[in-house]
Amino acid sequence: MHPSLGALVAFCDGEARGNASRIARHVSRCEECSEHLRRIRNEKDELSVGSAMPVMDSGKGLAGVVAAMASWRGSADGAAASELRSRLRQQIGTYFGFPAITVVERPGIPAEELLGRTSELLDVFLGPAAAEAARDDILSGLAPARSEACR
Amino acid sequence: MREIKTGGNYATPRRIVAALGAYLIVDLLAVYFWSSAGPVLSIQAPSDSNSTLPVTAMAGVGLWLCLRVLRSFPVGSPLRSAWMLIAFAAAAQAGSGVMAELLGSDWVLNPLLWTGSVQPALLAHIRLGALIAAGPIRLAALAGALLAALRTLRKFGFCGRPSATDWAVCGIACLFSLCRFAEAGAASLAGRETSMQNWISLASLPLLCVLFLEAMLLTQAVLRMGSGPVARCWSAFVWGIFSIGLTELALWLVPHYSRAPLGMVESLARFLTAAIFALAPAYQLAAQAWAMKMASRAEENLATEAPAVAR
Repeated sequence: MHPSLGALVAFCDGEARGNASRIARHVSRCEECSEHLRRIRNEKDELSVGSAMPVMDSGKGLAGVVAAMASWRGSADGAAASELRSRLRQQIGTYFGFPAITVVERPGIPAEELLGRTSELLDVFLGPAAAEAARDDILSGLAPARSEACR
Repeated sequence: MREIKTGGNYATPRRIVAALGAYLIVDLLAVYFWSSAGPVLSIQAPSDSNSTLPVTAMAGVGLWLCLRVLRSFPVGSPLRSAWMLIAFAAAAQAGSGVMAELLGSDWVLNPLLWTGSVQPALLAHIRLGALIAAGPIRLAALAGALLAALRTLRKFGFCGRPSATDWAVCGIACLFSLCRFAEAGAASLAGRETSMQNWISLASLPLLCVLFLEAMLLTQAVLRMGSGPVARCWSAFVWGIFSIGLTELALWLVPHYSRAPLGMVESLARFLTAAIFALAPAYQLAAQAWAMKMASRAEENLATEAPAVAR
């Protein structure tokens, strides 16, 4: 009887404690399961490389490095956008009240647009000086690239 | 580093509420003692002039706060016109108090009396001017201000459909106005003369109806905002308008159905209204002060963290 795919993945991860010897014996005899195991190992290797560092084509030299940096910055921007969104919600809640968040933040609105709307709202209702102070508070400590872009 | 001038602004709403609470307690105790011990001990109700001094003082505080808020909105700001009209309304209220209690009175400190050639008719005219300033002029300015504010609130999607309760309250205000006009009309038909004060009060009533309509829309906007200081600022206007309506109703009902001293009731109600209107700019200033404080704290954090990062 062939081991299940889950059992093969666990075997590959070294977690099939009780069944490890049985699966090893079966794989050494069964061509089909051996092929499955090889594919799992390949996919696992690719996955671990992808998460550890950006995909970089070493043959492309500097262009490859720039592309990898852009890819890294993209993931950093995602975290910054999420942080920015959370800070904007906090500010709207502080000055207007938490129900106001649903009025300002439409579903699917990008973080930049939310920043623009919140900025305008603070400008109109708090006055420019206080709004600028609130903006500084929102943007302080955020990723520099994002903060500069938002100003 | 940003220059920060926020001193005491967070506490202003709390101070106004404390002053209001203290005044209400003292005034209600005075009304209680007057009604229970007055007939036995022949205690007279205080003069209207003395009892309205705190009202003028509170109106002055409101005007000062409004001017500070107005200064924070430069020319071209969408809410500048609204705050300008609100400051004008506050000035009309405070000016009316000064006119009625200082320039229109026969008090020894009235500078008009120092020359000795002032006609009593002039003092009466000044008092009428004070009534017009605190009545139709103030309410018209307030109505214009709220219209400008509602336009801005609508632009940001804060305006909503009024509820049945809102319509009911507004209907009661309109019904009260109709009753007052009907009463004045009946008195006129019966050949009784309507006093100038009454005419001025009647002229304020249509404006009061407009204010109730605006307050109804403002209520929905405030409900959509929540309970932050900006929402509380606009909600103070709603309560202020409600208080004006309640004062008018009380001043109409008390002479008909109660023996309570009208001057004390009036000063109590007017102080309550003045305090509520002063709360609006106080909350606005508190919101601005909070923004400045948070930004300065963030700057301080950056300043303290930067050397650590550098190390």
